[in-house]
Amino acid sequence: MPHRELSHYAVSVVGADRPGIVAGVTEALYKLGCNIADSSCAMLAGEFAMILIVSHKKPFTKALLIEELKPVCERMAMTLSVRHLPLGEEDRKETPGEICQITVYGADQTGIVYRVTSTLAAHQINIMDLQTKLAGTEQEPVYIMLLEAVLPDGCSPEAVEPLLDGLKQELQVEISVRIVTPVEL
Amino acid sequence: MAVQPILKYPHPLLKKMAHPVAAALDTAIHTLVQDLLDTMQAGPGSVGVAAPQIGVGLRVCVVDVSNSRHGKDNNHGLLCMVNPEIISRSGKAVMREGCMSVPDYTGDVERATEITVRFLDSQSGQEREVAASGFEAVAIQHEMDHLDGLLFLDRVISVSTGLFRRKSYR
Repeated sequence: MPHRELSHYAVSVVGADRPGIVAGVTEALYKLGCNIADSSCAMLAGEFAMILIVSHKKPFTKALLIEELKPVCERMAMTLSVRHLPLGEEDRKETPGEICQITVYGADQTGIVYRVTSTLAAHQINIMDLQTKLAGTEQEPVYIMLLEAVLPDGCSPEAVEPLLDGLKQELQVEISVRIVTPVEL
Repeated sequence: MAVQPILKYPHPLLKKMAHPVAAALDTAIHTLVQDLLDTMQAGPGSVGVAAPQIGVGLRVCVVDVSNSRHGKDNNHGLLCMVNPEIISRSGKAVMREGCMSVPDYTGDVERATEITVRFLDSQSGQEREVAASGFEAVAIQHEMDHLDGLLFLDRVISVSTGLFRRKSYR
């Protein structure tokens, strides 16, 4: 179905983890006739977080979507947020540049994510995926961050690691960069 | 001798085991190989095509990584393989793969880094063994998977479960 015939919404649901969250939310979407165009769900600490892009044939309204999802979320004490996507935001743009996977880990300290990502942003390196975890022991906590980013035109993968060299020294963390641009077979 | 359309999943042939080619190479096989070559050369950046991808359920595939960024310095040129068999494999590496039969999706797949493959070479008519490594080895394994009805989707590994270890193992 052409995109202009569909309404798209960003839906997020977060709450204490328990069995049945995905089933409850998707049952409501299914009964409404919504499609899940894209989604990512994960357990973060003790919370279960769902982020979904859902679509529905026009005419459809955000109010109707909220009306059906709200009781489900209230029953499970989960927060709900719904945003209507303007045309043009519903599709991922082509990412022609090289894709890098950047791994950062080291003794836990405030600002690891901010310092690394602001350096990347300053060079127009666009993050597509990012996950962090606090690991190690209580006495010696270790922070791990794994991200994937698209390089802008003219930026070679070999140039990325040197960009982060200063931070590596300053924060005393390990940073490695690996090219993960897909191969067409 | 023509560029053939690439079948896309969920075409059922892509999930079927392909049949071995009978010992003698007849005209039909030579035509099939030529079609595979034409189709591979027409695909932008394509480094291999397997017969099931063009609708033929036979164990035939072509691979040529010599013009690719990852394979240009380590390859055996054009390989036209009939009834290929991997007789040894070692090493492991992850690459993010895409496939003409599964558009708009890529996934991380772990494969052997060194393989020895035995096949009937349709160009010489002789049995041949090739020790491939690196990207050429990955490409051969990917194309040979098509002969077993396997797509890279059947082998995708999850990055997050790989990185974040469980606290307890059972």
